Amino acid sequence: MKKPNKRLRLGTMIGDVVRSIFRRPITQQYPFVRTEAPPRFRGKLVYDPEKCAGCMLCVKDCPSDAIELITIDKAAKKFVMRYHADRCTYCAQCVISCRFKCLSMSSEDWELASVHKEPFEVYYGREEDVAFLLEKRPAECPEE
Amino acid sequence: MEETKKFIVPIGPQHPALKEPGHFEFSVEGEIVTGVSIRLGYVHRGIEKGAENRSWVQSLYLFERVCGICSHVHATAFALGVEKLCNVSAPPRAQAIRTLVGELERIHSHMLWLGVAAHEGGFDTLFMYSWRDRETVMDLLEMLCGNRVNYSINLLGGVKFDIDHAQRDAILRGVDFLEERSHHYLKICTTDRTFLGRTRGVGTMTREQADEFGMVGPTGRASGNKRDVRIDAPYASYAEFPVKLVTAEAGDLMARFDVRIRELFESFRLIRLILDNLPQSELTARVPRRVPAGEVVSRVEAPRGELFYYIKSNGSDQPERVKVRTPSLCNWGSVTQTAVGSKLADMPMILSGIDPCFSCNDRLVNIQRGDNSQVWTWEDLRRYGIEYYR
Amino acid sequence: MNNLTVPPLIAFLFFPGGLFLMFGGMAYEWIDRKLVARFQNRIGPRWFQPLADVVKLLSKEEIIPQGVDRILFYLLPVLALSAALASALYVPIAGFAPAYSFKGDLVVTLYMLSVLTLCLGLAGANTPNRFALIGATRTLTQLFSYEAPFLLALLGPAIVAGTWTIGEINFYTQLHPWQMILTQPLGFVVALVGLMGKLELPPFDAPEAETEIVAGALTEYSGRGLALFRIGKNVELLIGLTLVSAFYLGGVGNPLLFVVKTVGLLFVMAVLQSLFARLRIDQTVGLWWRIGALLALLNLLVVALFRALA
Repeated sequence: MKKPNKRLRLGTMIGDVVRSIFRRPITQQYPFVRTEAPPRFRGKLVYDPEKCAGCMLCVKDCPSDAIELITIDKAAKKFVMRYHADRCTYCAQCVISCRFKCLSMSSEDWELASVHKEPFEVYYGREEDVAFLLEKRPAECPEE
Repeated sequence: MEETKKFIVPIGPQHPALKEPGHFEFSVEGEIVTGVSIRLGYVHRGIEKGAENRSWVQSLYLFERVCGICSHVHATAFALGVEKLCNVSAPPRAQAIRTLVGELERIHSHMLWLGVAAHEGGFDTLFMYSWRDRETVMDLLEMLCGNRVNYSINLLGGVKFDIDHAQRDAILRGVDFLEERSHHYLKICTTDRTFLGRTRGVGTMTREQADEFGMVGPTGRASGNKRDVRIDAPYASYAEFPVKLVTAEAGDLMARFDVRIRELFESFRLIRLILDNLPQSELTARVPRRVPAGEVVSRVEAPRGELFYYIKSNGSDQPERVKVRTPSLCNWGSVTQTAVGSKLADMPMILSGIDPCFSCNDRLVNIQRGDNSQVWTWEDLRRYGIEYYR
Repeated sequence: MNNLTVPPLIAFLFFPGGLFLMFGGMAYEWIDRKLVARFQNRIGPRWFQPLADVVKLLSKEEIIPQGVDRILFYLLPVLALSAALASALYVPIAGFAPAYSFKGDLVVTLYMLSVLTLCLGLAGANTPNRFALIGATRTLTQLFSYEAPFLLALLGPAIVAGTWTIGEINFYTQLHPWQMILTQPLGFVVALVGLMGKLELPPFDAPEAETEIVAGALTEYSGRGLALFRIGKNVELLIGLTLVSAFYLGGVGNPLLFVVKTVGLLFVMAVLQSLFARLRIDQTVGLWWRIGALLALLNLLVVALFRALA
């Protein structure tokens, strides 16, 4: 316990304190100054409907039921993804599970907080498919 | 207060000293603590039960969330266990990356603890500086995995991300900076007179007590307990990149600071070694969706000590039972021992001295019942719950 | 080298007493917080933060816990603040001559300053809250430990100047600054550190150590009472700094000198605050009685020798 070779001292942090007078505070001024996220950052999920084959692996592997894949026309490979950003845990398992590389996570879009529920429900897909789905939405999913 | 009544100081569940909920009752005489009772269970989330109706892949992410600080080791322990059940082993490069992230996480956890413990001792300058430097390793992890807390780098059968040259250089730079800072912090924690006044000889655990209470991890090693899963039962790629055991003899808070900071140097060395000898291979091996029936025990060394996973599969695509034993829970017993006879002012430091993680703690432990039965019926559990929350 | 004088009524209500002291105290609190933050490599609060804190506290509901003496609960913060403000009347705030003075006002001022600590202790003991009780015990224990050395240290200048009136000591130090600075470096150290103990600043913040006993004696206070105690502490900070710079740093002759010297002292105090871990209450008591009292006595000895030779 006693280390006789070590001399006890007072104010061992004086060096840090003196140096801090001459340097800028390290605090990040986040809302005013936005730092760049690294390219691998796992932000909002992005879906590319052109490549999707509708294998449903992403839906199956998602640990938090954040992904719904709605089939408009299976033969023509028309799918719409309903993505719940509020349920997502940003684990990127869906990106790995996808064999057709149609999912990715954005490194720019990560300020997802909102005071309303609407922005958390995101529709991805060809424009006409999404419009088609939203029109018949009450019939399609009666629970919502 | 009446003479006969004990003067009890409650700490928690909401208290500035605790960043997570836990309830402690200290009976005191003046400033001296004469008795302790610990009550946990405020953040019970039913993760083990939850895993039983999720697929293996989904469970991986569930277990990653047992603990916020050491998320990676939980996922590693689960992934290693499942891989063992399936009789596959992740490729060497994946294992090395797992080890690397595990060590980065250890650095981040130990520096977090250093700051918290300094704050409990009223040394806010050390707290602010150590957390400032901890940002370095957090940024490295974010760059590597894409997130600061739940890294999610593990997959069943491998890892998600590779390390490229630019990242390697960034990690080496960060590690150099952190090593220099850690030398500085070691000097502070072992020579600063006011800080030693709060740590030396406080909360002392002897080797015998440490063994008796089953203390694990750096807390146990600070009492001279020579145990480290990374050395005793190497997992991932700790066999290729061996760790040296870091112990101290004193068993007081200062020894715990000493051990944890010296473990940082070991982590820095290991990270450099891994980055220089990163094996070339695939990143993932195929793990079937239905895991063959069987049971397995998986042990890893979390920053706080030995983490133990028992996994049982019945051949379906969901685990039948997963039992987690976290290191924080093992160490609580020591607090009841060391607290008695200490001063009330030292309590926050003794509590934080074991580096407690309250979310890790909250699972039901059935230590002993009269009839030695391990089976609890629904009626038993219900009665227990009513009694507990009365 | 005569200090300026202010009519007594104005002195009492606005300057240097009353409003000026409150706002001045807040300004000094801000400087202190900002400096400590910078020493910890943080940004620190903006200039209006102490004022915003007080305004917010004053607008909040005041909760009176069960089992307290209501009159005492209301009275103590008022008493604490008024004692601190009253003590300012005998002190050369901002380099102006004290509004009132009489023979021996040094002793009265020092006791007025202790009233705040006493009120704090009583406030803690008044509530049934356990943290407040422990905080009160620690506050009073700390009071007994630093008070004697602090007093002994401040007696040094009084003996050298040969008077017990603060204003006259201030004149004397302005006339013979080196005499004062050279005779009592020890007294200066004890007085400065004693001031930190009085204000419960780190490392002497055991009475309000948030990681142990939440907010110490003030745990049950909210709203108005808490705001008044805070203002009282800020005022005490200002008065304490004035006293120390008037006695040991060559006096405060005009507002500029006052600002330079007190802010300089505050800078030193901020450095000390960020350098040490919190002392346990037993360590605090030990430190004061073993080292503090000894240094103060040594200082008195030096002063006595000086008087004998001069």
